[in-house]
Amino acid sequence: MNFRELLKSNSFLYLDGGMGTMLHLSPGELPERLNLTEPERVAAVHRAYAEAGSQVVYANTFGANPLKLEGTGVDTAETVQAAVRLAKAAVPADVAVALDLGPTGQLLQPAGSLTFDAAYEAYKTVCIAGAAAGADLVVIETMSDLLETKAALLAAKENTDLPILVTMTFTETGRTFTGCPISAMAVTLEALGAAAIGINCSLGPNEILPLIQSLSKWTTLPLIAKANAGLPDPVTGEYSITPEDFASYMPAFAEAGVKVFGGCCGTTPDFIAAMREVLRGREPVTPNQHRPLAVCSGIRTVMLDMPRVIGERINPTGKKRMKQALLDLDFDYLRGEAISQTDADADILDVNVGTPGIDEAAVLPQAVQAIMEVTDLPLQLDSSDPAALEAALRIYPGKPIINSVNGKAASIAEILPLVKHYGACVVGLTLDENGIPNSAEERFAIGRRILDAALELGIPKEDLFLDCLTLTASTGGDGPVQTLRAVKMVHEELGLQTVLGVSNISFGLPNRPLINRSFLSIAMQNGLTLPILNPMAEGMMDTVRAFRMLAGFDPNCEAYIAACQNAENPQAAAPVQQASSSLTLEGAVIRGLRQDAAKLTEQALQTMEPLDIVNQLLIPALDTVGADYEKGTVFLPQLIQAATAAQSAFGVLKAHMADQGNAGGKGKIVIATVQGDVHDIGKNIVKLLLENYGFDVIDLGKDVPPQKIVDTAIAQRVSLVGLSALMTTTVGAMEETIKLLHAQYPECKTVVGGAVLTADYAEQIGADCYAKDAKATVDYARTIYGE
Amino acid sequence: MKPSDLNRDEILMLLRTPALDAELETMLDECTEELCKAVQPRTIWRMLPVGHSDEGVRVGGLLLGGKDIALHLTGCKQAVLLAATLSAPVDALIRRAEASDMMKALMFDAVAGAAIEAVCDELEQSLHESLGFRYYTARFSAGYGDFPLNQQKDLITMLDAPRKIGLTVTQHNTLLPMKSVTAIIGLSDQPVKDARRYCCGKSCGECPNRDGCVYAKNPEDEKGSTQ
Repeated sequence: MNFRELLKSNSFLYLDGGMGTMLHLSPGELPERLNLTEPERVAAVHRAYAEAGSQVVYANTFGANPLKLEGTGVDTAETVQAAVRLAKAAVPADVAVALDLGPTGQLLQPAGSLTFDAAYEAYKTVCIAGAAAGADLVVIETMSDLLETKAALLAAKENTDLPILVTMTFTETGRTFTGCPISAMAVTLEALGAAAIGINCSLGPNEILPLIQSLSKWTTLPLIAKANAGLPDPVTGEYSITPEDFASYMPAFAEAGVKVFGGCCGTTPDFIAAMREVLRGREPVTPNQHRPLAVCSGIRTVMLDMPRVIGERINPTGKKRMKQALLDLDFDYLRGEAISQTDADADILDVNVGTPGIDEAAVLPQAVQAIMEVTDLPLQLDSSDPAALEAALRIYPGKPIINSVNGKAASIAEILPLVKHYGACVVGLTLDENGIPNSAEERFAIGRRILDAALELGIPKEDLFLDCLTLTASTGGDGPVQTLRAVKMVHEELGLQTVLGVSNISFGLPNRPLINRSFLSIAMQNGLTLPILNPMAEGMMDTVRAFRMLAGFDPNCEAYIAACQNAENPQAAAPVQQASSSLTLEGAVIRGLRQDAAKLTEQALQTMEPLDIVNQLLIPALDTVGADYEKGTVFLPQLIQAATAAQSAFGVLKAHMADQGNAGGKGKIVIATVQGDVHDIGKNIVKLLLENYGFDVIDLGKDVPPQKIVDTAIAQRVSLVGLSALMTTTVGAMEETIKLLHAQYPECKTVVGGAVLTADYAEQIGADCYAKDAKATVDYARTIYGE
Repeated sequence: MKPSDLNRDEILMLLRTPALDAELETMLDECTEELCKAVQPRTIWRMLPVGHSDEGVRVGGLLLGGKDIALHLTGCKQAVLLAATLSAPVDALIRRAEASDMMKALMFDAVAGAAIEAVCDELEQSLHESLGFRYYTARFSAGYGDFPLNQQKDLITMLDAPRKIGLTVTQHNTLLPMKSVTAIIGLSDQPVKDARRYCCGKSCGECPNRDGCVYAKNPEDEKGSTQ
């Protein structure tokens, strides 16, 4: 049977209802095992749904993935094939059988520890088995995490030719449990090529109706609704809504644009029959024809309905400190830039890691992951290396922007298929094999050529943004004029979003901020919608806000006034500063005054070498606080407060040293939270203190495999590895790491800590030192590095 | 959730400090405010039959490991299995603070610890009011005493917690989102003796985790608890 045709037809389509509800499972019974042990029990459910009028039944594969079935003795491929075959045998030929993909049950990074690749591989196994057994379509359902959903969708798309339906689970807030809003779901899944999308599980029809109404505004795809039969009673386990009550909501769902109907937990064949009855004689409404133009991360959607700012700071070009950070794989520096641009109200962040000595294909996805840990903003993936772009596109949840394609035949051939496959937007640079043309008309022509190529591949027109290229004004000629003319032509004649790197305009000129913001104003007036700029640079965000207000994008001037008020009353994020002329750097650290510590460090640099500042000022101050902490006269918060003040002093020193071209620290230490453990805060406190004392800390993060820790220790030739474990169940991984280290790198020492450890236990697992707290780790590190 | 729902002393205990100076107090107030905004408390519970036998205790048909949970449920014919979480945005808030400001991270973490406790207390209170039993044991969780942590997966599966409240467990038995709890409360019409509530400050004497436990109290304070 051809499911795609069925989906296109002008009639409603009926799925099935709850499977678990119908199987009447006893405690501990695994539904997926039944495909192999009691196929008739499962087949009877399918038959009952087909008889009630379901045109699609979901094979009993919801929990059939290698991650969930691990340790159960049930083989994934075997149960999937059995499930699909028994379903096909159970229902008439005109009823389609769907391969059902549910969540893996694990949270993906950064919320959890499952990697995208592991999730993808799990779904790939299921998809290959299900397609081989003859499934007619793939349904991905009950999803909460957009990245996990994308892993399932890509697995289905890359390993089968089947149509893909996706439903996610939302709470009354309009977000999933992991924070994905309806808009981001719709924008992302339509771009990735889902055949229909919708909502299932978690809530009853009354609560899902407004969510479906909201979803209908965000997509042109057919909508699916599979509500629960209300809520289960915690005492009896019974669901609260009858088939007739449930069905009575369905006309309103149809009005909201739902074409595909079914039920989830607590629903039975009676619910399907009742829905068919209620909707008899009705026809689906014409679906929404308008797809809002937007980009998104997994948790935030940015509509491109007014000028939006793309923050440019995460780019090593011309930035020594950023280059050094990338060479050191110091992603904290990138995280810091992401946080400050987010706080400065950028709408989208550009991410570029291209610098000599860097394997972009390896580093770009890592950088993207690190940045997504600390910001909700959508990202613009910026690279000329297709392999790097693809690696980052795979692990990006949401709809990103690719920066960039250009008019060269090779670029079009390499980049546009990525745009199509991964459902991204793309920036087209108006240059080609002959370089950047001088005239606006020639740039426009290249832009049009890129647009034609995109349309030919089936990329929606509005997903192409054109960059008409800012040339430096100081070279003379009419460069700026041609750029502005080209922007205007693209905006007016093609109706596309336009991108410009704004600050290029002022290279080599005095008073650059003036030129930058003037050019920004003029360009926005000529149709620039996506300026790439430094949101922290003087006057730039103010100019954007003023333009939005004056151009009618900020009714009642609310956003403008709010921003002005925020600027007047900066939030007291840090403790109140009490700078006075008598305050010393040591005093600022001891009292935890961060801004003062930074300022005083800058002053000290005028007369002292960085290392002298560390040894003569910072460390004695930290020692004072540390001694008081050990005596019990100050406590953890005060210790951390002093450490963060020292950290801000170090920020100044590091920037200074990068400018001078020397990195020098006291020695490198690798630290990690061991495999299986995701509690990171203790290790991060240790890191802060170690850095305070001038050590170069290579932080491998949490849930780190033993071999990775050992490999890094060897590659970086460190003398000390610090390991943290918070769970009794992960101390084993700590022991294994130490054993591996002893075998492969015996000269390296280990220090361990964490809530469940004791000195005895540490000795038992072969650690050289047990540190009862962060301060003790520092003390041990100082003995190792000969202080 | 409001800041006033939280126990300030508990937050300070989790921050491992008896008091804060004025500046840090202000910061803690702001962090408490911000965390309360991020919290989306979700709970789920089921009332299940309890069966005692030689092999141990079963709740809802599931055999629970160890002798301590069996002792905890002595005299109970029914129990509530519950799960609670502050939800994913709280983890994100703490994670972000860890990258930008460890002081805030520490404070968020402590406030979240008090918040999940408050969520559980509130649920427990409402169960006491609605279920109509005369006696309730305290909450007992996997990892207390010899009740094995690796039963977390069974517990959340029985509650369908991943689908119902977005609570998952890793292959290493960590609940995620991190600020989450699963627990069992025994229900009875006879007085219950549940002195084996570990990690709770009520029966530290027998607890294997006594050393290093921030909740540990003086031995004199220790008495069995009944409600």
